[in-house]
Amino acid sequence: MQTITLKLKDAAMSGIAQVPVEVDALTPDKLFGKSEAELKAVKVWWGNKQEAAGDLFDVSVAGDAGSGDEVKIVFEGDLTRVKRIGDGMKSGEIEARGDVDMHCGAMMEGGKIVVKGNANCWAGREMRGGELVIEGDAEDNLCAMYRGEDKGMTGGKVMVNGNAGECVGQYMAGGEILIKGNVDRLAGLSMSGGKITIGGDAELFGPDMIGGEIVVKGKVLEMMPSFRPDGTESIEGVEYKKYLGDLAMGEKKAKGTLYAR
Amino acid sequence: MVEVTDVVCSLCGCVCDDIVLEVENNEIVKVKKGACSVGKAKLLGHERIKSPAIRENGELRECSYDEAIKKAAEILYKSRRSLLYGWSSTVCEAHKVGVELTEDLGAVMDNTASVCHGPSVLAINDVGLPSCTLGEVKNRADLIIYWGANPAQAHANHMKRYSYVSKGYWTEEGKKGKKMVVVDVRKTMTAKMADVFVQIKQGKDYQVFSALRAILRGHEDVVPDEVGGVPKEQLLEVANMVKESKFVMTFFGMGVTHTGARHNNIVNAIQFTRAAHLHTKASIMPLRGHYNVAGINQVCTWETGFPFAIDMSRGYAWYNPGEQSATDLLYRGDCDAAMIIASDPGAHFPGESLKHLAKIPVIQIDPYANPTTEFADVVIPAAVSGIEAEGNVYRMDNVPIRLRKILDTDYLPDEEILQRILTEIRAMREKEGE
Repeated sequence: MQTITLKLKDAAMSGIAQVPVEVDALTPDKLFGKSEAELKAVKVWWGNKQEAAGDLFDVSVAGDAGSGDEVKIVFEGDLTRVKRIGDGMKSGEIEARGDVDMHCGAMMEGGKIVVKGNANCWAGREMRGGELVIEGDAEDNLCAMYRGEDKGMTGGKVMVNGNAGECVGQYMAGGEILIKGNVDRLAGLSMSGGKITIGGDAELFGPDMIGGEIVVKGKVLEMMPSFRPDGTESIEGVEYKKYLGDLAMGEKKAKGTLYAR
Repeated sequence: MVEVTDVVCSLCGCVCDDIVLEVENNEIVKVKKGACSVGKAKLLGHERIKSPAIRENGELRECSYDEAIKKAAEILYKSRRSLLYGWSSTVCEAHKVGVELTEDLGAVMDNTASVCHGPSVLAINDVGLPSCTLGEVKNRADLIIYWGANPAQAHANHMKRYSYVSKGYWTEEGKKGKKMVVVDVRKTMTAKMADVFVQIKQGKDYQVFSALRAILRGHEDVVPDEVGGVPKEQLLEVANMVKESKFVMTFFGMGVTHTGARHNNIVNAIQFTRAAHLHTKASIMPLRGHYNVAGINQVCTWETGFPFAIDMSRGYAWYNPGEQSATDLLYRGDCDAAMIIASDPGAHFPGESLKHLAKIPVIQIDPYANPTTEFADVVIPAAVSGIEAEGNVYRMDNVPIRLRKILDTDYLPDEEILQRILTEIRAMREKEGE
């Protein structure tokens, strides 16, 4: 096992602007087996320039690894302007100790990310596999798609212990999202597959849905006006009203299912 | 005194091109025909920035173009993440140099669509846009829908030239042969002219579109008795008007792009247009504000693949409004310098975003002083496009129109100012490389 600890230096965020550091080059599958000196030399984008990781982070390494699976990366320091943590990662584990910036776990294919804080927008964007755990809140566009893409999340599992923002799982086509708290409007917008479970309250969920399912365990603050009630169903011993839609897409395409109490 | 005909107005997205002016001693003395009151005010001109200037100890000190351009280049060259924002009130030739500058610097380029019809552009990314030209609207449309827009006051010539009041080939009776529906939260001047006024609850546009779509697709049974403050009977009435029309045209404005579900309102408006295709011909168009905001979207798209909020920091274009859009970038304090051209964020951006803009070095390029001038560190006056400089612009329906030069000036056009800044930056890079 190899544990790589990367602590963002305070100096990086002490200027007139807080230019985000983008760490998509720092994933277990890209870093396994590197020595401390090699790690410090890895180039990281910071604004319009690439800097050595060692200039932006305090780097320490323990152990060795023959593949990404055997690597755990720990990000420390103020991570609120650190973008793309675990972007495209294929294996291994990342732990982010604090609130993280946008695109955490975007395009992720495998491995596990644990965020010990809140995640900014587009966490899990177009995620394909692996596991993403956000211990705090997630902001807008969790597991959604890149602008103009017709698929958001297609696989993997995401868990949010807090609340989530707008458009959770927009254009989601597969995988599973579990949010313990409330979500803002338009969860599951244009969803075609997969499952979203919302522990708390939700409003206007499932618009333009053509597949997949959404379960809302809390209050429904406002229902879309274009779904057809379809009796009731019991989930884990609790009775839910079932709805089919979105009929705004036309009868043939309306293959999404909502469950609400 | 000379009469100049076929003058093109460089104010709003209507880009009226039938204006007649009287010019005497290199000055426009009278607008004889064609322009609305706001267009007229612009053509007649008002106080200009007199000279290039650099801020020193809190005060602007007048200087030469050379000095101001050099200072601007220094600021941008040193920056790790600069924002080049504005662009909507200048010509496409300047936009082109702007894209080159953005790429050269690895900067972020954003335009006023970001705080205007950016949501419409995002919606087009998701679902496309069944649209047409204003000429088609004039000649064909017999049902006009204005949604969250008040052209009677904001685009004063729009109804007269292109929509409800105009007469065309198949609409020879003018407004007698047409119907108009206005959807808004309050009874605006435009709403007072409408056959049907749908008064919607603030922020509820999204669900009203969905309900209309469900009705047009034959599922009125699932629609509740009231949606977004609108009774079901009125939704059925509007849906019937759509079904019975020959050509429905929906124009929409800021009242629907910035409320409730925001850009997804527009996704839904476009899908409503699609649903109308089951019964009739239908088209939809954003009522663009500045005269060339459509043009900057065109230029950015053909140069970079994306219409606004473009980040070139990695050497290729990355586009993500909400992340690289000007207000967000500033709100988060992400950029360390800014160049503002042909726009006025000082008057229009949220306070929190402005706080950061006031903190970082700002270069302003504009013919007129405005609230942005109050905190700009380098001020570079420019010629007024469409009056003192020529160039191409795109009308709100994306039809290109050539602006003409009417008066002579000593002010430099935007294109030349930008080209000189770029040349300075390249010289600095070359010098550092030696």
